[in-house]
Amino acid sequence: MSSQSLGKTFTAGLWDSNPVLRLLLGMCPTLAVTAAMKPALTMGLSVIFVLVCSNIVVSLMRNLLKPHLRILMFTLTIATFVTIADLYLKAFLPDMSAALGPYIPLIIVNCIIIGRAEACASKSGVLVSIVDALGMGAGFTLALCLLATIRELLATGKLFETPVMPSWFTPWAGMGMPVGAFVTLGLILALVSVITNKSKS
Amino acid sequence: MSNKIKFFFQESWLLMVSSVVFGLLLAITDAAWKPRIEQNTIDRFNRLAGGLLTEAERFESVAAEPLAIEIGGKEIPVDVKRGLDGSGQTAGWAFVCEGSGFADKIRLVVAVDAAFEKMAGFGVLFSNETPGFGDKINITPAAGGFYQPQFIGAPVGTLTLTKSGDAAVIDAEIVAISGATVSSQAVVTTLNAWMVPIKEKLKAEGLLK
Amino acid sequence: MLSKITVSPAPHVSSKLSTRVVMGDVLIGLLPAVIAAGVFFRVRALAVIGVCVVSCVVSEWVCNRIRRRPTSIGDLSAVVTGVILAMSLPPAIPFSIAVIGSVFAIVIAKMAFGGLGSNIFNPAMAARAFLAASFGTLMTTWTVPSTVDALMPTISAANTSATTQATPLAWSKAVQKGQVEAHYINEQTSGAFWGKVGGCLGETSGLAFLIGGAYLLIRRTITWHIPAAVLLSAGVIALTAWLIKPEGFINPLLHLLGGGMLICAFFIATDPVTAPLTTKGMWIFGIGVGSLIMLIRIVGEYPEGVMYAVLIMNSLSPLIDRFCKLTPAGGTPHVK
Repeated sequence: MSSQSLGKTFTAGLWDSNPVLRLLLGMCPTLAVTAAMKPALTMGLSVIFVLVCSNIVVSLMRNLLKPHLRILMFTLTIATFVTIADLYLKAFLPDMSAALGPYIPLIIVNCIIIGRAEACASKSGVLVSIVDALGMGAGFTLALCLLATIRELLATGKLFETPVMPSWFTPWAGMGMPVGAFVTLGLILALVSVITNKSKS
Repeated sequence: MSNKIKFFFQESWLLMVSSVVFGLLLAITDAAWKPRIEQNTIDRFNRLAGGLLTEAERFESVAAEPLAIEIGGKEIPVDVKRGLDGSGQTAGWAFVCEGSGFADKIRLVVAVDAAFEKMAGFGVLFSNETPGFGDKINITPAAGGFYQPQFIGAPVGTLTLTKSGDAAVIDAEIVAISGATVSSQAVVTTLNAWMVPIKEKLKAEGLLK
Repeated sequence: MLSKITVSPAPHVSSKLSTRVVMGDVLIGLLPAVIAAGVFFRVRALAVIGVCVVSCVVSEWVCNRIRRRPTSIGDLSAVVTGVILAMSLPPAIPFSIAVIGSVFAIVIAKMAFGGLGSNIFNPAMAARAFLAASFGTLMTTWTVPSTVDALMPTISAANTSATTQATPLAWSKAVQKGQVEAHYINEQTSGAFWGKVGGCLGETSGLAFLIGGAYLLIRRTITWHIPAAVLLSAGVIALTAWLIKPEGFINPLLHLLGGGMLICAFFIATDPVTAPLTTKGMWIFGIGVGSLIMLIRIVGEYPEGVMYAVLIMNSLSPLIDRFCKLTPAGGTPHVK
């Protein structure tokens, strides 16, 4: 496969089929962990790790898969790597693990990962699968960080827990609550649609 | 019959093999990181309890097995820890207690003085209260919270919550966080339910004079 | 039933009733309350109202431009939203927060749903809910109306400044907890009628809203069903509580006059977009709003429940409309 089409596979995840902004997959972590940058980034990196590992494994075993048992195999693979990611956070980033609570184990049911296993890894070679996982994971992480930047900035006046807003700024606590997640995500999705519609016409 | 068994293995050998491989992988990871995870929990407790009981240099459990203490009609194992100062004297006691908050469970680290008569304060181990309102129970005295300092020096016994009053006066009356009565009450209720039974148990076991 | 409907060819009599006329009437109805707010809280109140109205109208204009739709600010609905939002804010609110609320009301609660007629929630109440969630302390800091001498002691909540004063409804919570004697609060009933108590801009004078409400009823801008249902159901609950335990609950009259009850009954719950359309539906809606307000006031943690009561019932109104569908003239159509 040429490097040009590999590049295309990568950038597809960033914009054209960005899992959050264009395909609306993985909405649960998008809404739940984006109140601040740190948890959003941790979630994004965990998903990249799980996505890359599961895509590699699925791609390697793609010729051995029995069609009616494939979903079972995907889930088994994903669950293994999610558990490893969860243990890693518990051991080395205990504060982040406490803050993210059940959302790390919930990556198992994140449809981005099983979606990529089904749509890409089970049909393509290892290299393509890795590039695809990196692109999709980066797209997911960027979308989460975009949301988290806006929400953390408005809800607390901080970024990465460092105060950045001028002193006269009154924090909008509502942006840190679920309502802030829905409103911000809705506005971002609208903006993305406007941009894609413009570039099409 | 043998055909069926053969078919079964043909279809599922990958699943079985990978289950074993993945299981091993997880077992290795878990074995490698488990001590660290346990240490993290202990560190977090020591950090919170040590911040409350400043004289204590280290904490050790009063018994090998957690004490079974009756709280709210249920026997709950509680790992009560003794804080020891530099010379090995008891500087105070600390334990973890749990109650229901506004949105989720709250888990608190509670520290009391050596005689188990006055609180040395509480710290929040886990909470998921409403940001901007209930989560003010998390603000430590050092961070300028007004709620937590009220417990430093409060008597061990039944605390009551009031909406109006002077938060600066240290007594059994705790002034609620305005807009977060439920969370404020949850802390008080949890402490009321746990502190006295633990004190009695320690006395009954002869650990506390 | 059929005899009441006349089907005839053109020409038809056209009526001048338009959104603009309806909204204009609502604004005239709100005028006494605006004047009252100006009297009690002086220039500050008028400034808050001005800021809200201007930012609502500007947001609506900007949204129309973005969506490339004809400008809809001429129908005055944005002005009404601005005034009602301002009425539900405390007078000491910083202007920046009033602007955030107005933008939220128009952009998120109204235009994002498709503009006037398509919004699910009353824009002013949705915006107030957002502000209450975001700026809790600022939204519950009440200044004493300038016409009141400091005859009432201030109960200061733990972390608010001392120049503020609790509203009668906050006192009512204190009564329920046995901290204050009920008769002391009941003495404020006439104050709540004339406007001598603390609260939001629109919470001080009951009289102003009664005048405004009467005007709307006379002009037939609103029908009497929703206000009656709200006030009756709330009154019955307040009266029951009071009869059972007079020393534990405040005077039911104060419940009806105090807080946002009257502005809710006449101006907020009657919003034609977010309330049901049929008479039966209006009764259900009104009773729901009135009962929820009293439930929140008496049982809940908040002193005032108008905002949440209205939002909850707004979300139910499509369901109520479905439930109370009118049978078309000529019987149920045979639809499979």
